Amino acid sequence: MGNSYNYIKYIKRVAFSNALDSIISLTILSFGISALVNLFKWLVFSANWSVVSLNLPLYLFGSFPGDQLWRPGLWISLFAIFSFITLWGPRWSWLRKSLPFLWVSYAPLGIFLLAGGFGLSAVESQNWGGLTLTILLTSCSAIVSLPLGIALALGRQSTLPVIKNLSSIYIDTMRSLPLIAVLFFGQLLIPLFLPVGLEINRVSRAIIAFTLFVSAYIAEDVRGGLQSMPKTQKEAGEVLGLHPFQITYLIILPQALRIALPSLTNQAVGLLQNTSLMAILGLVELLGVGRSILANPEFIGRYIEVYIWLAAIYWIVCTVMALIARHLEQQMTLDKKDF
Amino acid sequence: MPPIVKATNLTKSYSKGIFALDNVCISVEPGEVLVVMGPSGSGKSTLIRTFNGLESFDSGQLNILGITLEGHNNDERNIHRIRKRVGMVFQQFNLFPHLSIIENITLAPIKVQKKKKAEAEQNALLLLSQMGIESHARKYPSQLSGGEQQRVAIARALALKPELLLFDEPTSALDPERVNEVLDAMRKLAEQGMSMVVVTHEINFAKEVGDRVLFMDSGKVIETSTPDIFFLNAKHERSRKFLNQIKK
Amino acid sequence: MKISYNATAQLVIALIVILVVSILINNLTLNLIKTGLGFNFSWLFRPASFALAEHPLPYSPSDSYAWALFIGWLNSLKVIFYSLLLSTLIGTCFGLFRIGKNALLRLVSAGYIAIIRQTPLLLQLMFWYFVAILGIKKSIISPMGNLLSISNQGINLLGVTLSAEFTSLLLGLSVFTSAYIAEVIRGGINSVNKGQWESFRSLGLEESIGLYKIIIPQALPAILPGLTSQYLNLAKNSTLAIAVGYSDIYAINDTIINQTGRPIEAFIILLLSFLFLNLFISNGMEVLNSMVTRSTKL
Ligand SMILES: Nc1ncnc2c1ncn2[C@@H]1O[C@H](COP(=O)(O)OP(=O)(O)OP(=O)(O)O)[C@@H](O)[C@H]1O
Ligand SMILES: [Mg+2]
Repeated sequence: MGNSYNYIKYIKRVAFSNALDSIISLTILSFGISALVNLFKWLVFSANWSVVSLNLPLYLFGSFPGDQLWRPGLWISLFAIFSFITLWGPRWSWLRKSLPFLWVSYAPLGIFLLAGGFGLSAVESQNWGGLTLTILLTSCSAIVSLPLGIALALGRQSTLPVIKNLSSIYIDTMRSLPLIAVLFFGQLLIPLFLPVGLEINRVSRAIIAFTLFVSAYIAEDVRGGLQSMPKTQKEAGEVLGLHPFQITYLIILPQALRIALPSLTNQAVGLLQNTSLMAILGLVELLGVGRSILANPEFIGRYIEVYIWLAAIYWIVCTVMALIARHLEQQMTLDKKDF
Repeated sequence: MPPIVKATNLTKSYSKGIFALDNVCISVEPGEVLVVMGPSGSGKSTLIRTFNGLESFDSGQLNILGITLEGHNNDERNIHRIRKRVGMVFQQFNLFPHLSIIENITLAPIKVQKKKKAEAEQNALLLLSQMGIESHARKYPSQLSGGEQQRVAIARALALKPELLLFDEPTSALDPERVNEVLDAMRKLAEQGMSMVVVTHEINFAKEVGDRVLFMDSGKVIETSTPDIFFLNAKHERSRKFLNQIKK
Repeated sequence: MKISYNATAQLVIALIVILVVSILINNLTLNLIKTGLGFNFSWLFRPASFALAEHPLPYSPSDSYAWALFIGWLNSLKVIFYSLLLSTLIGTCFGLFRIGKNALLRLVSAGYIAIIRQTPLLLQLMFWYFVAILGIKKSIISPMGNLLSISNQGINLLGVTLSAEFTSLLLGLSVFTSAYIAEVIRGGINSVNKGQWESFRSLGLEESIGLYKIIIPQALPAILPGLTSQYLNLAKNSTLAIAVGYSDIYAINDTIINQTGRPIEAFIILLLSFLFLNLFISNGMEVLNSMVTRSTKL
């Protein structure tokens, strides 16, 4: 009795405190409920999900050879498994300790599983696609651009004018360019800059372009972390007789990275979303698969179903990434009061 | 034995005409505890920070543990040699927040003196128990009180087995009831014969532990006396004024 | 000793960079010789010979490539400018909803931000273009009589016609950016000391007046840098125009490369365009910033 009375008071306070408030709340409630009902009706009764269900392997693996589907399948499942262990897995310390290693090796493992070699049959990069390719582009670019970005950030903080200026010019130029231009010219120009006769596939070119682009952004995020470090930490290292390199790697960088973690997470989520740009530059990653299915006469005009389905996948993957990052943030928190 | 610190006519100014150090001459003998006092901005921090090369100076001579420091453009290796033998404790503790207490203490022994991890940890635990905080070894700095953090900072400085310890207002950032636990730890060190230069406003500590008191104002050394003389019978008007102020 | 070490390090780095760059340029020249393209800008003054659906200034296919690029520039500026206004408006509303008293508005705003920020812009643009605009079945929708009519040909607002391409780009960019701006606004307002809220409430000021007179002026210094970087992102993102067929600077560059096969020169032009655009936006925001700091410092 008293409990429900409190609820009423609470609801009154947060949504019906005065006339205007009540009008707004009622409007939202009525519109919201009718929108939800209509959406539900549409999702369940009107929408024709065959465009999704008939093409499920395409969305996940692109046109990977049918008898080899276990390879991308295994790789994607590992993503789910690693995520699950990171977020909710048991607290066995050997497992926890090997997690960073597992995540770092995830991208190279993906290249091996997709491209083949060492006993696996080779699969051309033209056949890579769907969510698999999206995650491949993201993980490979991320794993290279993080160290590169850190190096650029340290370079920009350096007292040596040559290093400082070179880093600054690179970072500022890259950050002023639109990503699509970097990717497009990456496809066109990277072959021109390679030795005559050496060719690399579109996926590698895309990864190089993404890496060049993202590392400039990572550099600025890391630099923000470096700049917010108080000078006293450096001094405390100095009076202990640590070498400047040791001070950077053991004291400054770990803390700066921890501070930069939220923005680095945003970069990672942004990177995953931005791999969709390759859909208009000739790769059939997740969005590219959607486009090619929509171009198929059998499914013409099924835009809404495809887009909602794609949005849902992107949303889920991005949210999982954000959750993992938040988890990492809590693990790395400097303010370890709750132990 | 030669003095541990020998400074002659040490002079430094940050901006023209205002001296942070003005012809400072002092020496610290082995095993001596020198207490440095003076009003805010008088140059106390600047002085002791020149002793381990954290600050440069404009003119004068400085010799630490037999190594001569130049005013500017010192050879990195000389500064490094001094820092390995001189420990420092800061007002704000400056522990490394991302490392546990034991990691804070063993970092330099492992990375600078290349000691084995087990040996360094054993020594760290010994130091922590001397400081009375061995139970916190696996915690992180933010889980400790200010007084405990400052004792960790002292243990961290001691881990390199320094021949001289510098303290810059080690108790100023502490709650009043926490001050004594840190001063007691410092007192024990003095009893063991550690050479120390301590910037502090703690009169009782200066009286009981200090061998000499050095009083500074506007970058100048106004007087250097034994505690008995300084606190009862200071030679200079300026010193007496200062003492009256801090006693209030 | 110290100086010589630093000098050596710099020399080594400089040499490596020079070496890498010269290898790259060497490869480039070899490749250019192989393809027989060379490097020059004289093609800029040849007739473009492609049509543009939208051009704020007179344009015909017989005009030069340079003029076509300029038209592309104007088209870019147009969509950036209007998206900037619209996204700021939407973003401010959602940012304020997010911290407001009404729990339902907070919920709606949080949902909006979560959905928009966690899905790709390109997907959203395609949605606006193919579903929201081209997907309109009824020939014309006029919710406000003659003032506003919407059809799959675009929008007619107060007699001004906006093409379907422009409209979808405008909406897509604005909605996407607004979610980020909402977060910037929320962060800025949260950065103001909580005591300020209590003190204007204790003076009996109304919420809206207090927000407008007390809180927002203090939040602005924290908001403006975030806003600047969102505007810069918006300008860069506007190049996704190519996905909906709007002729902005990048899309025209793309067409020109297809016609002339001169990616390097086109890249240089695009790079310069964007360096200029960035300078323009950041300087504009700098002026705004100094105005704000001057007015809040009194
Ligand atoms: N980095 C600096 N740049 C410019 N001036 C400085 C700097 N550090 C110190 N000073 C000036 O040098 C003088 C001496 O400063 P110092 O910090 O040594 O004083 P202090 O005696 O330690 O004071 P406190 O008791 O407040 O710590 C002061 O006038 C101070 O303003
Ligand atoms: Mg001081």
